[in-house]
Amino acid sequence: MISAFTLLFLAALLSIALHRSYFLKPFALMALGISAFFTLDGAVVPLSGFVSDVSTQLFELIVEIVLFALVLHEDEDISITQVLFIGAASVLLLQSNTLISFVLSFEAVSIISVVLVSYIKTKDQAEGAVKMFIAGALGTGFLFLGVFFYVMGGGDLLQEITSEANRFEIIGLFIMLSGIFYKLTIVPFHGWAVDSYALVRHSHAAILTAVAKTVVALATFKLFAPFLATHINLSVPLLATLAVITMTLGNFLALFEKNIAKILSYSSIAHAGYILLAFVAVKSEYAKDGILYMSIAYIFMQSAAFLVLDILRKKYEVQRLQELQGFVSQNAILAFFFTLQLFSLAGIPLLAGFLSKAVVFYAVVDAGFWYIALIALLNSALSVGYYAWIIKTIYFDKSTSKERHVEITLPLFAQIILAVGTIYFGIFAGVVFSSSL
Amino acid sequence: MSALEFIFVPFGLFIILSLFIRGESSLSKYIALTLFGFMLSFSFELYSALPLQGYMELGNYLEVKEFGFSLSLAVDRLSVIMLILTSVLLILVGLSSWSMKNQAMYFNLLIAFSGAIFGVFMSTDFLWFFIFWELTLVPMYFLVGIWGAERRVYAAVKFFLYTHVASMFILLAFFLIHKESGSFDMRFVKESMLLSPVLIWWLLFTGFAVKMPIFPFHTWLPDAHVQAPAPISVLLAGVLLKMGAYAMIRMVILLFPETSQEYAWVILLLGVVTLFYAGFMALKETHLKKMVAYSSISHMGLVVIAISTLSYAGLSAAVYEMLGHAFIIAPLFLIAGYFHHKTGSWQMQDMGGIMQKTPYVSAIFVVAGLGALGLPGTMGFVGELSILLSAMKSHGIWLAAIALASMIGAGYIIWTFRRVIYGEMSEVVAKTKFSMNPMEFLALLVFTLFIIGFGLFPSILFDAINPIFSSYPFLGGAL
Repeated sequence: MISAFTLLFLAALLSIALHRSYFLKPFALMALGISAFFTLDGAVVPLSGFVSDVSTQLFELIVEIVLFALVLHEDEDISITQVLFIGAASVLLLQSNTLISFVLSFEAVSIISVVLVSYIKTKDQAEGAVKMFIAGALGTGFLFLGVFFYVMGGGDLLQEITSEANRFEIIGLFIMLSGIFYKLTIVPFHGWAVDSYALVRHSHAAILTAVAKTVVALATFKLFAPFLATHINLSVPLLATLAVITMTLGNFLALFEKNIAKILSYSSIAHAGYILLAFVAVKSEYAKDGILYMSIAYIFMQSAAFLVLDILRKKYEVQRLQELQGFVSQNAILAFFFTLQLFSLAGIPLLAGFLSKAVVFYAVVDAGFWYIALIALLNSALSVGYYAWIIKTIYFDKSTSKERHVEITLPLFAQIILAVGTIYFGIFAGVVFSSSL
Repeated sequence: MSALEFIFVPFGLFIILSLFIRGESSLSKYIALTLFGFMLSFSFELYSALPLQGYMELGNYLEVKEFGFSLSLAVDRLSVIMLILTSVLLILVGLSSWSMKNQAMYFNLLIAFSGAIFGVFMSTDFLWFFIFWELTLVPMYFLVGIWGAERRVYAAVKFFLYTHVASMFILLAFFLIHKESGSFDMRFVKESMLLSPVLIWWLLFTGFAVKMPIFPFHTWLPDAHVQAPAPISVLLAGVLLKMGAYAMIRMVILLFPETSQEYAWVILLLGVVTLFYAGFMALKETHLKKMVAYSSISHMGLVVIAISTLSYAGLSAAVYEMLGHAFIIAPLFLIAGYFHHKTGSWQMQDMGGIMQKTPYVSAIFVVAGLGALGLPGTMGFVGELSILLSAMKSHGIWLAAIALASMIGAGYIIWTFRRVIYGEMSEVVAKTKFSMNPMEFLALLVFTLFIIGFGLFPSILFDAINPIFSSYPFLGGAL
């Protein structure tokens, strides 16, 4: 059986031939649709070191849906091709089961991310791309250093990560984690993120912050969870400290930011902190549900929010919070979708953001760290401050610019797809829980 | 319609209506009022079908077995009484918002609010309860932020943040309950199952205390209530504060009888402080609506004292006072908003002699004011008296001192009459033309009727309320 990876990879290669033609977009959409079909069938990448289970399948499906929306939104040929490539790499990473397949797929995702942002048109984009490239290189360096230590300690690259690690292997694995944390924008490895997310094209940032981050988080959790669970004494204090610092710093910096893209980038860092909590709670049986739920919710709301930013920057030339004043009178429908996703990010119920946070935080309580959960909850409440402030600017302030009317365009359909995802997973939690066994 | 539909149909209606109906179209208003009418008749249907004690199942939906989490709907007498109160208030609020600007969106938000609030009172699953509890904030945020007075934005954001932070304590408590008892269903959780009841008790108490509000967690209220449009102040005082009191009774007192016994003095102390503090604040206030808001907090102090008795009589009195407070404070808020709308001022000194210009509305203000100070024959009197008696019985004779608060109440209310209703006509009032929409006046009349009707015949309410608590053996006896 053909796996979704093979299909997406071939489609991506083929799509290069279709550049500058009208068929590219329909072709890409069709490729994603068919690959979703194969994903449902449960096909695995036909190489050793790759396995699939129900939760992987669910998340692959979600990634394909989100990429579908991204293609709908996108109007640059080169970006559509990259979307297909990142889809293929995501499938690869999600199914990777051994250390070597993980490292290779991780590199694939990183390289495609860099290629994605290196389609540079302005000086700002160049700055963002370069920062990301340097951070990515550093991350890769750390990852390989970790692998080196791990192998020195006698670890086998062709196997899953051992849970009974010796000292060398432990050092190696934590160095690897720090390399991965570059990609997840965990403080103190976050320095590049805000500038890159805010400066590169927002539709590219949507891929970087929503797709790449969640895929990496989920794959890392799968591979590292047994190891972390057996070394609770070491992993919990370390990761809990990082998680708390990450979310607190992200939220506080977001509070003082005036540029909308930067606010959302800091919120992305804060969310990385919440995601990391699932690693802290690894002892709890709900941790895997939590990280799966968090990834699903996050990929929907974050990509939707950044796509809205893309429309705002391109059509309305809005970048600063101030310029959003009274935006509801300019485009009520876009304002509605943006508000919905912001509320979801803030963790307001009946939206995916709430239930996902609830499950992760519950896992933390379940693992016995109710005080960490309290810090996380208060952080989440704090974050409402800046989300509510954006919404206040959109709805309560008087508009300064002239009236503009709403257009029904493809990007709007992308928003509808993502909004349906956010609402669906905010109500029907059963899907996530029954598939994460 | 089933119970589930009464929760989710409003949300669906909200999305559809807000996509298609905008501006000044009054269609949303009629749809909203029809919906609230159905909600009222549904609540009465529930009431008539209700067993005398215990819960009535309304269905179990969206089950997540792995997490022990499902939308289980069930009502008992307490929740049905709250449902009836909510739907009555929603209808009356709808009537008194008859000539609101930007009507379509306003009523759409009210519709969304009605779904959330029905969810709060019907769900017995902790997590779903919390979901609806938080959801009530969202429409309120917009209603205060868009239709409010001068400092509406500050008030809306403060209200949203403050109560949201408090909710986090509640959520953590629910997580701990689930971890220790293995269930999210409030009907099956018992205090004895829990390992750390004291921690959970404090988390829940703090969370609900903000909503009620109890001193020192009340600071969001004067801002939100004053800046909100008058009908929304009614909803805030009549429904949102009641939600806090409802949760306090159900999840703090009835769920944790032993811990509550141990910390009853905390509840009592904070209740007394709230009562007097808010009373004195109201006394010194010259801003009409702020005076009403503080008087509202002061009355909630009485409810807190009644709750702290942990007795059958005290809790019944608390529920009675909750209803009384809702009906008494509502016309005060509405009329204060009306006076402001007409005179353009909040200050009492600008409103002297309003009686000469608009006698009927002023008369209703006087009746409601007399209710607030506890004149015999109004709901206020029955509430205060029964709370006083039950408190003295549970905590000792020294609590007769809370009658002093009633004197403070008489002070600020009658002084307000002197400054606003009677007295010499101020220049502002002389220049102002007063005319009220008949629908808005109708709503005021209905409130007046309730204040006097249930004040003269309190047994109608007490007969409905008393059976709620009779099934809890740990509560002290009746009076």
